[in-house]
Amino acid sequence: MRHMSWAAAVLFLLSSLCYPQEATPTDPETIGQLVQQVKDLQERVRVLESQQRPADASIPKAPNLPTPSVEPAERSAAASAVAEEIHETHGIQWRGFGEVDYKALNQRVPELGTYGFVPGSAGNFYTGDFGLFLTSQLTEKASVLSEIVFEDGDAQTYKVDLRRLLLKYDYSEHLKMSFGRYQTNIGYYNWAFRSAAWLQTTADRPLVMEFASNGGLLPTQAIGVSLTGTIPSGKLGLNYVAEYGSSDTIRPDISGDGQVTDENNGNHVNVGFFVRPDALRGLQVGASYYHDKISNLALYASSGAPVPQPPGSPGSSARYGETIDNGYVVYVAHGIEFLNEGFLIRDAALHFSNTVFNTPAFYSQLSKQLGHIRPFVRFQYVNASPNNWIYDDVGLRFGPSVGARYDVNDYIAFKAQLDHTVRRDEPDLNGLHLQLAFTF
Amino acid sequence: MRTRTLLMPLLICLASLVCLRAAAAQAGDVAVVVNDRNPVTTLSNAELRTIFAGEKHYWSAGLPIKIFVRGPGTREREALLKLLGMTESEYKRYWTTQVLRGEAQAEPMALPSIGMQREAVGAYLGAVTLVNFEDIKAGMKVLKLEGRKPGETGYALQGR
Repeated sequence: MRHMSWAAAVLFLLSSLCYPQEATPTDPETIGQLVQQVKDLQERVRVLESQQRPADASIPKAPNLPTPSVEPAERSAAASAVAEEIHETHGIQWRGFGEVDYKALNQRVPELGTYGFVPGSAGNFYTGDFGLFLTSQLTEKASVLSEIVFEDGDAQTYKVDLRRLLLKYDYSEHLKMSFGRYQTNIGYYNWAFRSAAWLQTTADRPLVMEFASNGGLLPTQAIGVSLTGTIPSGKLGLNYVAEYGSSDTIRPDISGDGQVTDENNGNHVNVGFFVRPDALRGLQVGASYYHDKISNLALYASSGAPVPQPPGSPGSSARYGETIDNGYVVYVAHGIEFLNEGFLIRDAALHFSNTVFNTPAFYSQLSKQLGHIRPFVRFQYVNASPNNWIYDDVGLRFGPSVGARYDVNDYIAFKAQLDHTVRRDEPDLNGLHLQLAFTF
Repeated sequence: MRTRTLLMPLLICLASLVCLRAAAAQAGDVAVVVNDRNPVTTLSNAELRTIFAGEKHYWSAGLPIKIFVRGPGTREREALLKLLGMTESEYKRYWTTQVLRGEAQAEPMALPSIGMQREAVGAYLGAVTLVNFEDIKAGMKVLKLEGRKPGETGYALQGR
């Protein structure tokens, strides 16, 4: 009998634990407060109903109206939220991003004079890119996206760059179309980090992925049509990218000689594939192939006048068939960011020679989020032949960058980065780059 | 007789523990709720993750997916963050990134109550949201995950 009563007590205790709801407060003071709150609310409802009655009396009531299944107050809140959502669907969404930078190099010889950095200075402040990002949903499947960037230039002048303007139409998961000015999907970086410094872990982009308008090697922008979508592949997560457009790239020489190269690109084709396997979330592996025909028209940046061609040069009318092969493996998950991309830029002289210039480049970047801080390390490499007239300002450059990103909050990040660059026939270059990047 | 009297409470304890475990699982389970006209009935865990990560934009029937979530501090939010493997801060940053990449129009709308979730799911054919299993009401269509309903052993989506 004693055992039976003990068992009953255990059963009672466990049964009470089985009850899924959380324990409710039972002390008399709390119950008293709750009762008082209920009374207050009942009184407020009574007052509101009495105010509502005269207005209701003037409205003839429709017979057999369905009774709302949700409480009136909750329902009206829900309706307004849904209405707000509908408004948001058809309105314009604004986002912005900006940066304030300080950079110092250990040389006074002008070089890398882009983004407002004064070539030859011991160190100076600049604002890089200030971007306004607008999107608007036109229909369930059509939308507009634009990215207007105010880019810091020489002597605190600003130029406006419509970096992206896209009319997007998503026909299905397998076919998403974009028409307008897009960022070319050569590789991962250009897609993943777009224009905003706030998105990047590092203070700057790897040289090979730098915007062409800031001396980067690749045609980072084009106007045309871009298609993307998934390819049915089960757990492999296979996607494709296909682009056809005009780049018309003008890139400044990063050697700081005051010249720009007008590539006068033809229409390019870019085709790429990437996989995001279910088995390893965060892994993305991809490859792309780009083809275009370009010129090497050297111009003075200040006047736009042609630069006299050096002896032996094929001249400004020479055309090159350019192909860019890219492959990448990235892993971004669990606070780890591991980016690895390789490029082979091939510029084949057309009609005037059999010369082919190969420019290999790669970067590897590793970082790990530790609370608010994300330390990073990056190694990059670009090797352009000294005989390559197109990238004669680049030459061989390689070296590490180390630093850390500190997320002040969800919108502001501070970055500190040290760079060491080894250059062919030039002294090594050391740099310090501080950046305050933000989005709003 | 003595063995029998000892065995009985032991069995009762075991049965109660099983009951406790099932109830605890059920209490922590979070259901995936869609519009009742959505023909989808089951999803894999990977599909659910790609949906709430904004990587999958359409249901199999070609219907655009519309994500609604609960705000921070709720069990549904915790289940969402666990599903995506992110902290609250990483989640916010992720969606800002998705928007700036042009992969999403906006961060999924956070709704403050079950009633609003029900309203939103009813208003949008392609809507999907996460609802605490205890709060499921009539008219909410609950999807299976890997063929399992919330409350069943092995159901993957749970809050705290």
